Amino acid sequence: MIGIKSYGAYLPKYLMPRELIAKAWDFPAVPGTKAIASVDEDSLTMAVEAGLDCLSGIDPKSIDGLYFASTTQVYTEKDSASFIATVLDMREDIITIDFTDSLKAGTTAFVRAMDTIKANKDISSILIIASDTREAEPATMYEFGYADGAAAFLIAEEENLPIVIDDYYSISANVTGPWKRAKEDNFIRTFESKMDNQIYIQSITRVMSEIMKRNNLNPEDIDVAAYYYNNPRTHGRISKRMKFNQGVAQNGLFFQVGDLGTPMSFMLLISAMKRPKEEAKVILAGFGDGADSILMHVQDRRALRELSKNHMGMAGHQKSMKTLQNYNVYIESKRLLTKDRYVRKSSAVTMWRDTPTVYKMYGNRCKSCGTVQYPTIFRACIVCRADDQMELVKLALKGKIFTYTLDHLVGGSYLATPVPRCVIDLDGGGRVLLNMTEIENPEDNVKIGMEVELTFRKEHEGADFKNYYWKCRPIRGRF
Amino acid sequence: MVAHGIKDKVAVIGCDATKYGELWDKSKEDLLFEATQGAIKDAGITKDEIDAAWLGVYYFFTGVSGTTLEDSLRLGGKPITRVENYCASGMDAFRNACFGVASGAYDVAMACGVEKLMDEGGRGLPGTTVMGHPVLPRPSAPAMFCLLATRSFHEYGWNKEDLARVAVKNHENGYYHPKAHFRMKITLEQALNAPMIADPLGRFDCCAMSDGSAALILTRPELAESYAHADDYILVKSNSLSVHTAYPWYDTNFDFISAPATVDAAKMAYKEAGIINPRKEIDLAEVHDCFTITELLNCQDLQFCERGKAAEELKNGTFNWDGETAVNPSGGLKSFGHPIGSTGCRMVQEVAKQLQGRAEGRQVPDAKIGLAHNLGGAYAVCSVTILGQRD
Repeated sequence: MIGIKSYGAYLPKYLMPRELIAKAWDFPAVPGTKAIASVDEDSLTMAVEAGLDCLSGIDPKSIDGLYFASTTQVYTEKDSASFIATVLDMREDIITIDFTDSLKAGTTAFVRAMDTIKANKDISSILIIASDTREAEPATMYEFGYADGAAAFLIAEEENLPIVIDDYYSISANVTGPWKRAKEDNFIRTFESKMDNQIYIQSITRVMSEIMKRNNLNPEDIDVAAYYYNNPRTHGRISKRMKFNQGVAQNGLFFQVGDLGTPMSFMLLISAMKRPKEEAKVILAGFGDGADSILMHVQDRRALRELSKNHMGMAGHQKSMKTLQNYNVYIESKRLLTKDRYVRKSSAVTMWRDTPTVYKMYGNRCKSCGTVQYPTIFRACIVCRADDQMELVKLALKGKIFTYTLDHLVGGSYLATPVPRCVIDLDGGGRVLLNMTEIENPEDNVKIGMEVELTFRKEHEGADFKNYYWKCRPIRGRF
Repeated sequence: MVAHGIKDKVAVIGCDATKYGELWDKSKEDLLFEATQGAIKDAGITKDEIDAAWLGVYYFFTGVSGTTLEDSLRLGGKPITRVENYCASGMDAFRNACFGVASGAYDVAMACGVEKLMDEGGRGLPGTTVMGHPVLPRPSAPAMFCLLATRSFHEYGWNKEDLARVAVKNHENGYYHPKAHFRMKITLEQALNAPMIADPLGRFDCCAMSDGSAALILTRPELAESYAHADDYILVKSNSLSVHTAYPWYDTNFDFISAPATVDAAKMAYKEAGIINPRKEIDLAEVHDCFTITELLNCQDLQFCERGKAAEELKNGTFNWDGETAVNPSGGLKSFGHPIGSTGCRMVQEVAKQLQGRAEGRQVPDAKIGLAHNLGGAYAVCSVTILGQRD
């Protein structure tokens, strides 16, 4: 049997009230909030977060592939999947693919993962991560919708899976809209959104109806329908047209976190998985130049409940989200303002050579004195000075502050200052120096002894490539 | 073979420093020319009598190789070496020049240092834009030393006022020094109300970006008798250097309330100079007050007072120019700024002039033994020099 073994999610720390957008542009007020990534986040870093959540309690080396889905991948040549797999410390003999350019990339990656597992006896599990940071043109209605987030599923072939996949069905349809030209456009464009909406409704109802028909299911047989939507009103119309029972179609997302893009349908499914019915029939559907639907059923309620206890999912992140007070923070987060940016020196060679320590957070343990130390660059022990006695050890992504400073002299940036720079004693050994991200009022809130989590972030674009590294953040509750 | 050291084997026979400050109209060549010519004149020699020179420069944009000095002074093909060792670059140049004459390889050697920071713009030391690992954090200099301040506050119960007193004392001293960058007295309130640089270090807790140069002429004591300062040349009692990791934040045993480099360099220097009670025996000390917290910790690491007591001793006047151990009677880096490669040489020549009774700023009464101390990088590199009057 092939099905969902685990899930994970990531929602960035900050919520943008739609009211602030309305106020900024003198639009009529729109209710709700949307999740927005911080200035040091992108689709890749959020994918790492969702991946870490999904793999809580699971050995990353046991997984045979990683499929990444996004319309906002950080490179057009150079895939994200292999990068994310590296940061998650997965094996090298795995299959990695980016699914891009369509909002249904998430569900497409999902069904292709199932195909891959079916077709290969050596491949029994694939991690799928959908992540998007779509940018709306300021002062348009899309600004109220487009939001940032990531979600992950571990698809595996084994017994006793919490959710089993029964069938899937896809259609392909070329529609002009929405689109973003590779070279010419900074923002997503539309021509006639009413027509786009009609095609969306037709496509998503068609794939869901078809898969139900193929499996002799009536609307009342469906317990959970998690389909992509970007407008609450349209969502209701689809539910009505599908004749789903009250509460079946999942619609709890848009109001609070917005239109997440490729992870939207995944996130809807994850948020519905807290209190599953025995044998619940589940439909997952994605849309974008066609549509995919996937039919599943809950096989093991208890296992599913366990998953919700050991993973942050959506609810775990929502608890620690903060609402922005100010539109300017959004402008900076999305880099909507043209500013001269501070560029640090970089070297693609160094970044490649230091992969274990920089991306995977490995340290060394000195076999002579036992001290766990970071980074892995030095061959003589920093404590006992023994030569070449090092063995690689994986460091914990959690620790306590030993000392810190609040640095107002951060290169080129006078907006998000001061930046706490923290010396952190990691749980289980190793000491690191990391910048802290996403901290309000650091003067009051950063303290010696404070517990922090490590989070993978974009640092700078020195040497014209994206330089990523770890930062620390106040505890959000990652397992 | 037992190492012999350099105690009483090297004599300072001439020294000088330029005015320190934001010297927009001067090049590094101007500064080196003025400082070295000043030292040459002080020694009463010609530049052709110099056999070899060592030049402290930190940043490559100030200058690389011995040519930086050659093109300023034109020694005409003599051996010149550029020395770089973080903020101790200048004092390490002095150390190498000492070895040059003490070994007998040369009769007359010059140690000098220069840094031209203003040509790079004045908004903090260039760091990660020009060097270092692509992503491993390399905090600004204030942030590095602030890691010590935060932990010292936690361990010793010090506060911002304790730090501010260092600034007030050093600016008080610097007011009297004609060559200081800043000649102004400040109040405790001014220091406490200054804008924050790296919390808890405010603007007056940090030394400034400045330009400057300093130079010294060295020979062996027996030769010193035939030069201008025959009667009051200064003897080098010891010079030490200790180098620790550039990344103390990766050392799980590092306590962030002391600089092991200073502790080690001080022990070596005291041993060679035969100093048993530094507080009593050292009359004045020019110590590395790049930040106010650094001076407090220096006083403890150099054994001028007990651990945890530096703030109290400072408050009680122990480190005033007329106190038990005068610390930074020149005004220190707080008043002079810190043109990195030059600072070590400036401090050593300052101590030499104090011992000769011709201090340009506040003269410490009856100064017989003086100390200069540089601490560079993330408290990684420390050089200590002890000077004494001729017999």
